[in-house]
Amino acid sequence: MSAPARRRISGDVPRALALAAIVATFGALSHDFLGARNLSMLAIELSTTAILALGMFLVILPGHIDLSAGSGVGLIGGIAAVLVTRGGWPAPPAMLAAAAVALLVWFSMGRIIVSQRMPAFIITLGGLLIFKGLFWMVIRNATVPVSPAGDLNVFARLTTTYLPPAWGWALVALIAVLVFARWARRARRGGRYDAEQGFLRALVAVQAAALFVAVTNGFRGVPLPALLLAVSAAATIVLTEHTAFGRRLYAIGGNEEAALLAGIDVDATVIGAYTLMGAAVAVTGFLQTAYAGASTTTVGDLMELDAIAACVIGGTSLKGGRGNARGVLFGSLIMATLLNGMTLLAVPPEIKYVTRGLVLALAVWLDTRLAR
Amino acid sequence: MTAALLEARGVTKTFPGVVALKNVSFDVRAGEVHALCGENGAGKSTLIKLLSGVHPYGSYEGELLVDGKPAHFLGVADAQRAGIAAIAQELALVPALSVAENVRLGDWPTESGLVDWVEARRDAREWLEKLGLEADIDAPVESLGAGQRQLVEIAKALRHRARILILDEPTAALAEAEAERLMGLIRELRAQGIGIVYISHRLEEIFTIADRVTVLRDGSTVTTRRVDAADRGSLIRDMVGRDIADLFPRRAPKLGEVRLEARGLTAEGEGGVRKLDSVSFSVRAGEVLGIGGLMGAGRTELLMHVFGAWGKRTRGELLLDGKALLPGLPGDALSAGLALVTEDRRRHGLILEQSVGFNLSLSTLDRLTRGGLLDLEAEAELNERDRADLRIKTPSLDASVGGLSGGNQQKVLVGRARRSAPRVLLLDEPTRGVDVGAKVEIYELINAMTERGLAVILVSSELPELIGMSDRIVMMRGGRVAREFTRAQATQEKLIAAALGQEHA
Repeated sequence: MSAPARRRISGDVPRALALAAIVATFGALSHDFLGARNLSMLAIELSTTAILALGMFLVILPGHIDLSAGSGVGLIGGIAAVLVTRGGWPAPPAMLAAAAVALLVWFSMGRIIVSQRMPAFIITLGGLLIFKGLFWMVIRNATVPVSPAGDLNVFARLTTTYLPPAWGWALVALIAVLVFARWARRARRGGRYDAEQGFLRALVAVQAAALFVAVTNGFRGVPLPALLLAVSAAATIVLTEHTAFGRRLYAIGGNEEAALLAGIDVDATVIGAYTLMGAAVAVTGFLQTAYAGASTTTVGDLMELDAIAACVIGGTSLKGGRGNARGVLFGSLIMATLLNGMTLLAVPPEIKYVTRGLVLALAVWLDTRLAR
Repeated sequence: MTAALLEARGVTKTFPGVVALKNVSFDVRAGEVHALCGENGAGKSTLIKLLSGVHPYGSYEGELLVDGKPAHFLGVADAQRAGIAAIAQELALVPALSVAENVRLGDWPTESGLVDWVEARRDAREWLEKLGLEADIDAPVESLGAGQRQLVEIAKALRHRARILILDEPTAALAEAEAERLMGLIRELRAQGIGIVYISHRLEEIFTIADRVTVLRDGSTVTTRRVDAADRGSLIRDMVGRDIADLFPRRAPKLGEVRLEARGLTAEGEGGVRKLDSVSFSVRAGEVLGIGGLMGAGRTELLMHVFGAWGKRTRGELLLDGKALLPGLPGDALSAGLALVTEDRRRHGLILEQSVGFNLSLSTLDRLTRGGLLDLEAEAELNERDRADLRIKTPSLDASVGGLSGGNQQKVLVGRARRSAPRVLLLDEPTRGVDVGAKVEIYELINAMTERGLAVILVSSELPELIGMSDRIVMMRGGRVAREFTRAQATQEKLIAAALGQEHA
């Protein structure tokens, strides 16, 4: 409600313009860019970037940070891959075990940060290096495939599974029913709810879903990671805007001492945020590793910075207490589109780095200028 | 009659949609203390900002004159050059730098391009001695008390040859004794021919120190007159535009059972420093227990400790309704039935960038949760009810709380505390920096709550408030209970004597 919702308006316009400019540029330079195949790939790439960014958002909201996320993505994906390929485990228990490790590690990191009163920056910077080292130890500096030769297990299928076209349309129908049911409920209750605007918003949401399904059906159908992202996004929005936990994250980021004196268990809330970050790292780790086909030393490299950039471009304040999940999704879309387009155009990696850095700086500059 | 050092003639200042000052005239002469009062939002801050160059020439109508000549300040630096120094409530000092560094802030003497520390320290020491500040000039400013910091700020201003000092609520953060000392200093400066603009919500101070008083209301001058021709009642009437028959509407209480009892509380803060020493007190249902004392006497520490937010207990116990209370965190105290309104609402109370509604419901989110989700409708209803009930003046519940006036911010905090339906309410300086109208509303709220059987512990530096609102008063000194008074026994003199430890007989 209220504050986070209102702030979205100022940042939305420049962000939408930036995205439009990026899309137009790539669209003009390559006519594969807007093709169904590439957009489907973009959806998968967006999913990994955005799920990690949503986790990062939960950590940044209370004024913390996680620099270890990228290394963690490699490590957790690596653990699952090693269990499957070298240990001969079936994929589901291997992934569950790796996810349990992620939850435990991020829970512990959160605990250390709050109980030892250490800056999150330092602890997670340590994590970045430690996890990277552990990652390479786990995979023994080798390339570990996500599934033993030829066997298409659940792990490998994560990024190669598409919903049959009919299911996609069924999904759109389901979304339409849910969205309009919610609209009808709120409109009937009346009060301060603007029913007309609500209807338009619901309509746009359904149209967007329909467009997405239409485009991805043009390739193979809705990719599974996009579904995972939709679930993560919905969960994050509900968590931050409709639960006490979310309110507390905003309060802690806004003024930690005041939050404590208002009766909030600051330590437990922050540990909770880190634990959820662990979950985001695990999901991203599986997706990213599966997308690469194998766990190799470079999986997850610099992903923490993409996640932080997505949050910041999306209007999240690094001081905490400000931002919202929709902005983070938008920021992720900008980062993912940029990377996807440049890869498609075979832009050399050095130029990619410079461009991403420039876009980040430019986006934030624009946001602060227009917010005045 | 001496000529005015600084004069504002018929100034009008508008902000988009608001007229902050309407044709206001104000002047201060050499060797005079001119008090400026009015409720929050009356235009005092705007006038000060105009006088001190924050609102530059051209952004207002009317004229500013220095020594009778028109002055066109384009910024604060121009005003400083003309000898005007404004000392704001939030001081412009760098906490981590030393006293000497702060006194010469931005104006360090140099020797071949390097700062000449010997000279800077000598100079700083000289100024501080003049002002009677006994502090280590190498100590970081953050280690000083509020009163000492203010002196550092004043020293800084006088170094710049200030002839006009504008003091905005200088005693807001000071205890009685420090405030007394400041009054002495102001008298000295006045005797040296410095013109002083003095803003305060404390009427007693105006009668003690000021020569003339100007009252602003809704951006217009209501009156400018000699203080000896004014009295309390008429000033309050001028400020609020109505009669406040009784500033302290405390009614005869109906006392119930003992709600909260402390027995020999002894507690240490960081580094094992003992700040509370065998403190015992009790407060009954329906009673207001006042706690007074100088700064550093342990009043805030006591409240924070009771609320589970400060210190390690080494001895003693707390009983709530006869049962032991062991809050490890403020959250525990809150669920046990305690609520706290903190002393520094901007730093320790509010989430400033969030909305009024967000702040109101922050302590009671669990009660608004149904099946894991917040019931936003129920929340909005409760917030709306509190806004009407507490008369919180805000454009909307979604407006950020940082934009409200002090009194309204305070009401938000009281509303949040009240929302948790506490059995004991701890109030730390609940009317600091709050205008007279809102003060009375807060007093009435306290009365309404005690009538419903709530026990209130009220910490205050303002003795009239302490005497006016409390049924019993505990004066603290050096972390101990110096003496306890009944309402009938308490006089300002006796309370001060107890706080200073100068009781005879």
